Amino acid sequence: MGVNRWLSVWSRAVIGPASRRAAGVWVGAVIVGAVIFGPTGLQPADLTGLALHVPAVAVVLGMTWLLVFLPIARLIVRADAAAYLRSLPGSPGKAALLGGLAILAFQFPWLLVWTLGEGARGAALVAGWTIVIVLLARWRPIFAAPRTPRWTRDGQAMRGVHVRALRRRAGDALLRGTGLALLAGGTAGLFVRNNGVVGADAAVLGTCVIAIVLVPAQVGVLLVLIESHRQSSWLAASLGIGRGTRVVSLAFAIALVHLAATALALMAAALVIGPDPATFGLLALTSLVAAIGSALGETRALLGAEHLESVASRTVSGAVVVAAVVVLALGTLGMPGLLAILTSGILALASVKP
Amino acid sequence: MILVVDRLTVKRGVRTVLDELSLEVAAGEIVGVVGPNGCGKSTLLTSVAGVLAPRDGRITIDGASVWGARGDRTRARRALGYVPEGADPPGFLRAAELWALCAASRGCEPPTEKLRAALGLDEVADLALDRMSLGQRRRACLGAALLGAPKLLVLDEPDNGLDVLRLGALVRLLKDHAAAGGATLLASHDAAWLDELAARRAELGSDTTRTT
Repeated sequence: MGVNRWLSVWSRAVIGPASRRAAGVWVGAVIVGAVIFGPTGLQPADLTGLALHVPAVAVVLGMTWLLVFLPIARLIVRADAAAYLRSLPGSPGKAALLGGLAILAFQFPWLLVWTLGEGARGAALVAGWTIVIVLLARWRPIFAAPRTPRWTRDGQAMRGVHVRALRRRAGDALLRGTGLALLAGGTAGLFVRNNGVVGADAAVLGTCVIAIVLVPAQVGVLLVLIESHRQSSWLAASLGIGRGTRVVSLAFAIALVHLAATALALMAAALVIGPDPATFGLLALTSLVAAIGSALGETRALLGAEHLESVASRTVSGAVVVAAVVVLALGTLGMPGLLAILTSGILALASVKP
Repeated sequence: MILVVDRLTVKRGVRTVLDELSLEVAAGEIVGVVGPNGCGKSTLLTSVAGVLAPRDGRITIDGASVWGARGDRTRARRALGYVPEGADPPGFLRAAELWALCAASRGCEPPTEKLRAALGLDEVADLALDRMSLGQRRRACLGAALLGAPKLLVLDEPDNGLDVLRLGALVRLLKDHAAAGGATLLASHDAAWLDELAARRAELGSDTTRTT
C-alpha cells in the first residue's frame, strides 16, 4: 500500500468521523453565537476582553470549549478507528501532522472569536489551550472494576441499568453536554448581567436562555437513554417488569440528566452574574422546576418515538418543542408559568399508554 | 401441564407466522421445536416468553396466562427463564449486572455455585456483554435464565456458540431441571443434540399452521 493510499485510508477512518462531529459543534456554535452576538450587540472583542479581565468568564468559556471539543480531539489523537493501519507500512508522521492541522481547523469558530477579538494574541491563546486539549485527549484513565449491584426491586434495577448506560455509552455526549451546560449558564448570566435585570425578571430570562441552549447539550445523552430503554425491552417483558416501572425509570434517568445539566448551568451563571443571592435563588428555583417539567415532557416525546426508525430526529424535535414550551410559558405567564410547565409535563407523561 | 399453548396465531406485519398452533409441555419434559428457517420457531418462543403479543389464542405457564390480566402476566413471567436467539441484552451491562437485574425481578439470589461452575460464569461475570464472544454471551444469558429455578425454560438455539465442554454441561443442567419437575421449550437445528437431551420433537412446517 503506497504512503498516499495509506494516508487516504487513515483520513477516512479518523478525520472523516471527526469532521462529522465537528460539523455538529459548528452548528451549535452558530446558534450560540447568534444568541450572544445577535440581539445583545456584543462584539467578539467584548467577549474576549471580558474573559481576559474577569477570571470567572474565562473559566466558563475555556472549560466550555475544552469539554465540547475534547471528544473530537480524542477521535483524532487516539485514532482508534485506524488501529488496523498500524500493522501496515505507512506514514505515522504525516498522519500526526494531518491530525494536528485538522484539530486546528475544526476549532475554527473558537479561533475566529479569539482572533477577531484579540488578534495574534488571541490566536496564541487558542494554540496554548489546544495543547492542553491534546494532552487530555491522549490520557486514558483506568477505572477500577465496579462492584456488582444488589438490586432488590424492579424499578431500582431498571434505574441502575439506565445509569450504567449513561456511564458507559454516553461518555462523549456527557463531556459535550457538560461544556454546553456551562455555556448555557454563561450565556444566561451574560443576558441577565448585560440587560441589568434582577429578581423574577432575571429568573425568567435566565431560565429561558438555559432551556434553549441546553437542547444541544442533552440530545446525545437522551439518545443513549432511549437506546438503553429499547435494548432492555425484551428482557423487561420476559421478566414481567411492567411498562409503568420502565416509564418511571426512564423519566428518572432523564430528570437526572436535566437536573445535572441545569445545576452546571447555574454554577456558570452564578460566576457571571456575580454576588446577588436573591436573583440567583430565584433563577435556581425557576430553572430546576423547569428542568423537571422538561424531563417529563421529553420522556413522553422519547416514548412516542421509541419504535420508530426516526427516533434520533424525533428526539431532537421533542427537545426543541419542550424548550419552546418552557420559553412560551415563562415568557407569557412569568413565574406562574412554572406551574403550566410542570402540569403539561405530568399530563404528557400520563398520556403514555400502559 | 407447565406450558399450554392453545390455538396461537401470531402475525409479523401482514404475514401470519403461526396460525392456530397448539402445544403442551408437561412437568419434567423437554420439547425441541424443529423446522426449516423462517417457519416460526423463534416467533413461537418469543410469544411464549411474553415479548411478542399474539394476534389470537392463549398461552399459560403454570396456570397463569402470559397475555392475560396484570397479576397473571407477572406470575407467568416469574415462572419463566428465557434466552432469545441473539442472546442480546443491553451490551453495556456486565454479566454480573444482568444476573442482578434478573435476580431482583424474580426475587431470588444470584447464580449458585453449581450453576457458576457448570457454565463457567465466573470467567464472564465482570465482562461487558458486548465484549463477549457469542458463546460467552450465551452462557451469561443461560445463567440469567436459570436463576431461581424457573418452572419453564424457553431457550432459542441455546447450543449455538457453545463449546463441547459447555454443551455437555448445559445438557446436564437441562436434565437436572427436568428431573426436578421443570419444563423446557427450546429451538435447535441440531438433531443429535436433541437426541442427547431425549427431547420430544414439535415440528413446525415451512408455511404457517402446525399443531403438534
